[in-house]
Amino acid sequence: MSDRDSPTDATADSGRPDGADESQPDAVDGEGSVSRPADERPPYVESTIIMTTVRVIAPFVLTLGLFVMFHGASSAGGGFQGGVIAATTVVMLGFAFGIEPIASRLRNEHLALLVLSGVGTFLVVGLGGYLVGDNFLQVSEYETLFHHGSKYSIELVEVGIGVVVSGVITSLFFLLGTGIDAADAADPDTDSEEDR
Amino acid sequence: MTPIEILATVFVVVGTFFGFVATVGIVRLPGLYARLHAASKSDTLGSVLSLAGIALVLGVTTESLKLVFLLVFLFVTSPTAAHAIARAAKEEGIEPIGEDARLGDEEGEP
Repeated sequence: MSDRDSPTDATADSGRPDGADESQPDAVDGEGSVSRPADERPPYVESTIIMTTVRVIAPFVLTLGLFVMFHGASSAGGGFQGGVIAATTVVMLGFAFGIEPIASRLRNEHLALLVLSGVGTFLVVGLGGYLVGDNFLQVSEYETLFHHGSKYSIELVEVGIGVVVSGVITSLFFLLGTGIDAADAADPDTDSEEDR
Repeated sequence: MTPIEILATVFVVVGTFFGFVATVGIVRLPGLYARLHAASKSDTLGSVLSLAGIALVLGVTTESLKLVFLLVFLFVTSPTAAHAIARAAKEEGIEPIGEDARLGDEEGEP
């Protein structure tokens, strides 16, 4: 493959244990290699096994994330857990297809908009409590407006939290993976991965 | 105990045994690849067998359907995760530890 001429071979051949060193099971070569700069790392080679598994798994993971998110009001679940699970879909795509190709499809502005819309949902439901009742987030007063009002308004808050969490997790992961200035090289209208 | 419960108990006990094997492998084996070898295979089998035992006890219910889904996904994702870890370790140039241990290329030749 194309990464055989990379600097990893030099460290690999020089550090081979000769039988005398084997009493130390924790002496593993290649330590510190995580902190290598990006241009010294070998180029990413896609793995068919990982790509196929992610293709099969990703819709189910997203469904599970939404399931957990929508169950926050009535049973075990909630916006935080569901948001993390939904963000895992994008992170998995990054693992399988390389971080740079996925990051080039996400724009910081869209992720920030996603996070802001979640916060806005929370604020609208919360401040609406003043309109129908007396206090911030007084969801019991929504019952007077429509049937099961308190449950649905809490559900909306959970979804808002989930959107915030998934947006933040996605942007943090890709910022860590690509560095600060890599997220702006993109075509602007393909941000489809995270706001379905 | 009904025969179903005896079978489920056997499943759970065998699954726990494989989980124990995976733990011993992680603690005792040297190096990343050997530990990964022990952990991935035995742990997959252990968790899948335990979940299958629980699903047998629950019978044909929604809960056992969820358990079967979980079982199938564990069976797919756990070896893939192990493959991803081993692949990343090989790309980072981490050497296996032990006599005759070496990294091969794609055809398995050193």
